[in-house]
Amino acid sequence: MTSQPQTPEELAAYLAPRLGDRLLGVEPFPETLGRVRFRREGALDLFRAMRDDLTFGHCSTVAGIDWVDHREVVYILWSDAARRYVLLSADLPADDPRIETACAIWPSANWHEREAWELVDITFEHHPDLRHLLMPDGYAFHPLLRSFKLHEPEELEVKSRRV
Amino acid sequence: MSAAPVPAGAAKPAPATLGLPMGADLPMAEAPAVPFVEIEALRAKEFIPAAKEALGALIAEQGQSRVIRPVFNWAGRNSLFPLHWGLACCAIEFAAAFGARWDAERFGVVPRSSPRQCDLMIVNGTVTWKVAHKLITLYEQMPEPKWVIAMGNCATGGGPFRTAYSVVPGVDKLVPVDVYIAGCPPRPEAMLEGILKLEELIRERKE
Repeated sequence: MTSQPQTPEELAAYLAPRLGDRLLGVEPFPETLGRVRFRREGALDLFRAMRDDLTFGHCSTVAGIDWVDHREVVYILWSDAARRYVLLSADLPADDPRIETACAIWPSANWHEREAWELVDITFEHHPDLRHLLMPDGYAFHPLLRSFKLHEPEELEVKSRRV
Repeated sequence: MSAAPVPAGAAKPAPATLGLPMGADLPMAEAPAVPFVEIEALRAKEFIPAAKEALGALIAEQGQSRVIRPVFNWAGRNSLFPLHWGLACCAIEFAAAFGARWDAERFGVVPRSSPRQCDLMIVNGTVTWKVAHKLITLYEQMPEPKWVIAMGNCATGGGPFRTAYSVVPGVDKLVPVDVYIAGCPPRPEAMLEGILKLEELIRERKE
């Protein structure tokens, strides 16, 4: 392992030869090491580099965002050795929101990816158990999409007391 | 204890010097004023036939439903066993109602942990669609007759989450509800008032 990057520029210089054009850039982000923007084709290589080389051993959050014209998936990682957070984010096309799962790298990503799939319909390929987490099985919608319409409670039937 | 039972009317034995045996000195150890056999005879020969005769005459005069039903209703409304169904903050008020200050047990309300021992389901909290089928299962496991109280705004109509994607807008969409208690959360007094309202409903039950 090389010396730990301390700035976004150092992180970009470390990742650029490993990812090539699949790395889109590293931006500064408050109170973290930076925000790594990458293409989804380089997901597994980036995950392995972050965990094995840069000691980011804990995947704290996987979040999905619906930007209407595209979707975004954000990973928040924590390193015990560096005591730093780092953000990874990838843009996904709205008509094909797929990305490789991070479960093989960080098992704690399992439920977060289930939640992101359930709420904003981001499909994590090769996920071991991609099913509903917060909603009942068979729920047909992805409720945090902007296109989701709230239901009308008045449409539901009230169970009357038998007399 | 003395070895032999003391017969009725016999003189009490003198107290032992060292306080042993103590039992012979206590009033409970003395022979009863009316022998037990006589009470049994009174029950078997006179009281029960007389009660049967009076009750039969009352039933013939007023009809069975007007005589038996009030007895069942009286017993039922004074021994409501609610099911533990705490889903959210209303369960804190539910628990406080059984504490020392409000003491809901003085109304015969004793929470049970198994639906098969309950006849009242107090739904206190936000019911989500994820837990909806479990609520229906528990309701169906309760023996008849059974009642449901929707406690708090969430259980009554969804509360602030009424149009949310994950929340049932009122537990009456799942099971029939007898009494609604408003409040966010209702105070324990409100919960006791709801139970008293339910007791009024049971008092007038005819079926």
